[in-house]
Amino acid sequence: MSELQPLRREFASREDLIAYVTAQFPASAEIDSHASPIPGGRAAGLRALGAVDGAKYAATRNYLNGRVSRLSPYLRHGAVSLSEVRDHVVRRTPKRHESEKFVNELAWRDYWQRLYAKLGDGIWRDREPYKTGFRPADYADALPDDIMQGETSAACIDGFSRDLRETGYLHNHARMWMAAYVVHWRRVKWQAGARWFLTHLLDGDPASNNLSWQWVASTFSHKPYIFNRENLEKYTAGAYCRGCPLANNRRCPFDKTYEQLGAELFPNAPPEGR
Amino acid sequence: MASFERPIIWVHADCLTPTHPGLLAYPDAPAVFVFDEALLADWEISLKRVLFMYECLLEMPVTLLKGDVAAQVSAFARQHQADAIITSDSPSPRFREIVAKLRQSMPVTILEVDPFVDYDGHMDLGRFSRYWRTAEKYAFDVREP
Ligand SMILES: Cc1cc2nc3c(=O)[nH]c(=O)nc-3n(C[C@H](O)[C@H](O)[C@H](O)COP(=O)(O)OP(=O)(O)OC[C@H]3O[C@@H](n4cnc5c(N)ncnc54)[C@H](O)[C@@H]3O)c2cc1C
Repeated sequence: MSELQPLRREFASREDLIAYVTAQFPASAEIDSHASPIPGGRAAGLRALGAVDGAKYAATRNYLNGRVSRLSPYLRHGAVSLSEVRDHVVRRTPKRHESEKFVNELAWRDYWQRLYAKLGDGIWRDREPYKTGFRPADYADALPDDIMQGETSAACIDGFSRDLRETGYLHNHARMWMAAYVVHWRRVKWQAGARWFLTHLLDGDPASNNLSWQWVASTFSHKPYIFNRENLEKYTAGAYCRGCPLANNRRCPFDKTYEQLGAELFPNAPPEGR
Repeated sequence: MASFERPIIWVHADCLTPTHPGLLAYPDAPAVFVFDEALLADWEISLKRVLFMYECLLEMPVTLLKGDVAAQVSAFARQHQADAIITSDSPSPRFREIVAKLRQSMPVTILEVDPFVDYDGHMDLGRFSRYWRTAEKYAFDVREP
């Protein structure tokens, strides 16, 4: 009986809790010791649920400052369930076309979870060949330091890197841009990027994360996902480009048409695959 | 559902809620959560993720331990002279391995969490669009409150 050593449950403040968790989990603190401003717990999850607006969600979800729910960490850990979130939003939004987009996004999580039950650790392996004209061996195994430290000089990428490490949350669009940059611009294996995300994301989920990385990489989709400056600038309201040293020097690696980018990033792929 | 005299509830990281089906079915049963130290190390989980889970757990009536999950849950079960372990389902392969270890010494009952899509028939999971063709028919069905 003495073999069990329960951890503490009473804390005077969040600071007190953070100090205790840091002391009890030194290896995790060594990896990265930030505490996210996003609080854990079902109560906080229910507050986020109360703020969901299906119609506004559908209209603005692709924008970094759009009305996304930020429910993902709570859903990931079951603090709220997919079905109760759906029930709440559908009941409050009787018009089907207004809740449709949100329910469809929830369904992505259900889909990835079902695939996880079927594939198990297979989610770490390429589901299909890359459609980029490159072989897996052409991609580096490790994530470059400048990306992890947020020192690439691209203000957007460095900003996403910092947010990931400091808050453990990124907007879906930022995740897609970051993943595309890692895999296609830097030619790094998606697995390296996926591991980095799982280290930091509060919603880090092996299925949603790895299969989304595979979708960007093209090992689980019919073509690679890429973006350009125009796209990023639009959905971020120019927030990053405005002060970016690369944008102002005309050295932005994203400032091209999709045709140019396809030809540069995937020179060996058949044009229709780019 | 088989009913047990002295079950314990094993809570894992996919179901950190006071509405955990095990806690609802056995409100008086002792419950335990074990931070899986090997998993935290293998996956290089940063502090903020541990903190987030910890804050979820502080809202639940559960004893918090760390170390080897199967060994700690078994020790907790022995301490409470338990006759069974109740937990909730998870698609994780590691969950299956831990359940297999626990079953060497005691029955383990796995409870379902409310399904998002209440449909048990065949689902084509080849691509999301194929899944959605079936799922869409059920995904908007709301349960009675
Ligand atoms: C490279 C990459 C990695 C990702 N890694 C994760 C991850 O580890 N964990 C995770 O939960 N999501 C992951 N996603 C999916 C998606 O980005 C997040 O679920 C979403 O951004 C969370 O923010 P939100 O709660 O405000 O989402 P909302 O847009 O408000 O959506 C509501 C909920 O639906 C679910 N959802 C929405 N979109 C998706 C999606 N594409 N895939 C799965 N679930 C979705 C989430 O549970 C989310 O909380 C990843 C996406 C990409 C491109």
